[in-house]
Amino acid sequence: MILQAVLNGILFGGVYVCIGIGFSLVWGVMNIINLAHGSFIMLGAYITYTLFTYLKIDPFLTLPVSMIVLYFIGYASQKYLLNYIIRASIFITLTFTFGLQILIANVALLIWTANFKSVAPAYSGEGIVLGGLVFPYIRCAIFIVALILTYLFYLLMTRTKTGKAINATALNLEGAKTVGVDVAEIYARTMGISAALGGAAGALISPIMTITPFIGGPLVGKAFVVAILGGLGGTMGAFAGGMALGLAEQVGSFFFSSVYQEAIGFIVLVIVLIFRPQGIIGKRFY
Amino acid sequence: MIKLQDKTYKIFLVIALLACALFPSIASGFWIRLLTSIFLYAILAQGLNIIAGFTGYAAFGNMIFFGLGAYTVGILMVKVGTSFFPSMIAAGVVGIIVAILIGMPLLRLKGHYFALASLGAAEAVRQIMDNLTDLCGGAMGLTLPQMAGKPAQVNQSFYYLTFFLLLIFFAATYTISKNRLGYALKAIKANEEAADAMGINTTRYKIVAWAISGIFTAIAGGIYAYWFTFIEPATVFDVMIVVKLFVILLLGGAGTVMGPLYGAFLFEGISEIIWSRFLNLHMGILGIIVILIVFFIPNGLIDMVRRGFRLKTILDTIREEKV
Repeated sequence: MILQAVLNGILFGGVYVCIGIGFSLVWGVMNIINLAHGSFIMLGAYITYTLFTYLKIDPFLTLPVSMIVLYFIGYASQKYLLNYIIRASIFITLTFTFGLQILIANVALLIWTANFKSVAPAYSGEGIVLGGLVFPYIRCAIFIVALILTYLFYLLMTRTKTGKAINATALNLEGAKTVGVDVAEIYARTMGISAALGGAAGALISPIMTITPFIGGPLVGKAFVVAILGGLGGTMGAFAGGMALGLAEQVGSFFFSSVYQEAIGFIVLVIVLIFRPQGIIGKRFY
Repeated sequence: MIKLQDKTYKIFLVIALLACALFPSIASGFWIRLLTSIFLYAILAQGLNIIAGFTGYAAFGNMIFFGLGAYTVGILMVKVGTSFFPSMIAAGVVGIIVAILIGMPLLRLKGHYFALASLGAAEAVRQIMDNLTDLCGGAMGLTLPQMAGKPAQVNQSFYYLTFFLLLIFFAATYTISKNRLGYALKAIKANEEAADAMGINTTRYKIVAWAISGIFTAIAGGIYAYWFTFIEPATVFDVMIVVKLFVILLLGGAGTVMGPLYGAFLFEGISEIIWSRFLNLHMGILGIIVILIVFFIPNGLIDMVRRGFRLKTILDTIREEKV
């Protein structure tokens, strides 16, 4: 039924928004494609796994922990590493974040092993049926939390001093320095926020995905698509991009076979890049 | 500055050439295979170098050529019964055609967008190949016929084949770096709008560059298919190949002629050592090495040798790139 496909598209879209929003932030502000974002998400998922399995904490309640831990990881990576190479060419930053990604994946491999892990709270698999459509509990909860996070992020970027400083730096680096913004510190905080959002995404996807140290790669692939589809222009951009990807995949696989899901995603990506590279919302800055 | 005209450098190259040519008669199978794989990586890196190092277009999807080249050889040899050499040539032709087909829309994009679009195209092709089970085995892969002969002979054959192609491709790259095409590409990398304003047909030259890159990469893919005798979409369209190529280019020096070769030697050498000693940690160590390379020798070994190994140079480079 196509309505179910559309509903699934919206619910999946919530997950994609989470995955993409941090990635899009770093790209828009610092022009860094952070291939390590996938491993931030992976770490968030593992933190949730550990808390859920050993302390029996509900995955949704582990969100703050994942976010705080990942904030510090992101902040430190930027402040002590990325800030030193940030003006180099795109090969360099890309390769660097790639190196960081496989390093983090190896660390995760040593700590948690490569065995598939999963987080299965008591209510997984259940849902309610309204008007002939299935609303799985977990997916709906993820969607709602994604909305809340997006809104909080929007408030952060528009109402707080840090948020305004981040916007200023993204708009005009020299200008921001001139008015006294500590750019290095702001970049560090931006990466921290991005990683925290990644950690939240990890916590949110842990109940619906098998967790291995290697999920970082495909996840960052999805994040790319979200960032480009939506455009790097603001919270709305990531939101639009996530929803667009979710809908394109679900509705697309309704019409074509679902094995071509990823190919569809990528073809849509290439088309968007050619005809509207600034994405659906599309502004150059946050 | 090390120039090709330098007498010592020329002598060094001739000696290295002879050493490589005579190598198989003194070394064991493992070393021959190791060098063959280094040569393959060097060819792949040189292919990437032409589009990324010379022209400045970071083609993250270059494995599209590798995979399609491998599958061209695979399908022709298995389904049609062609022998290896014509299949290899066909792979080269496929490389050119694909480069033109995807180059026309994609080369309009710049920087990150081009990188991602090329990656997207490669991933889409991978998924499609995964599902073409009747044509080429799909996700289960394709098995090619083995080369006839004893293992030692087979090793040597592939060694000399790859070495020979390496020489041809590197000579071609050297020629390119000195002629009009090379100048056009470097101009495009330096400032595409200025190049356009100066009358350089940027679209045409970019497509030519990617087509050349496609030939090198596709033929290498064809050799890989016949050498390993088994290919599947997950390995031949793996983006990790291209990421390694970028590291090799970084190591050796993007935009130089010999950079890919030195980078390949160094990278494979380090990989082998790490693999054999630290199996559990090899990813992490590779990650750390990548990070260190990016920090300390971002312009590659050749540039570092030119500028001298002084600490000051390293610190200067870092200071240039800091926020």
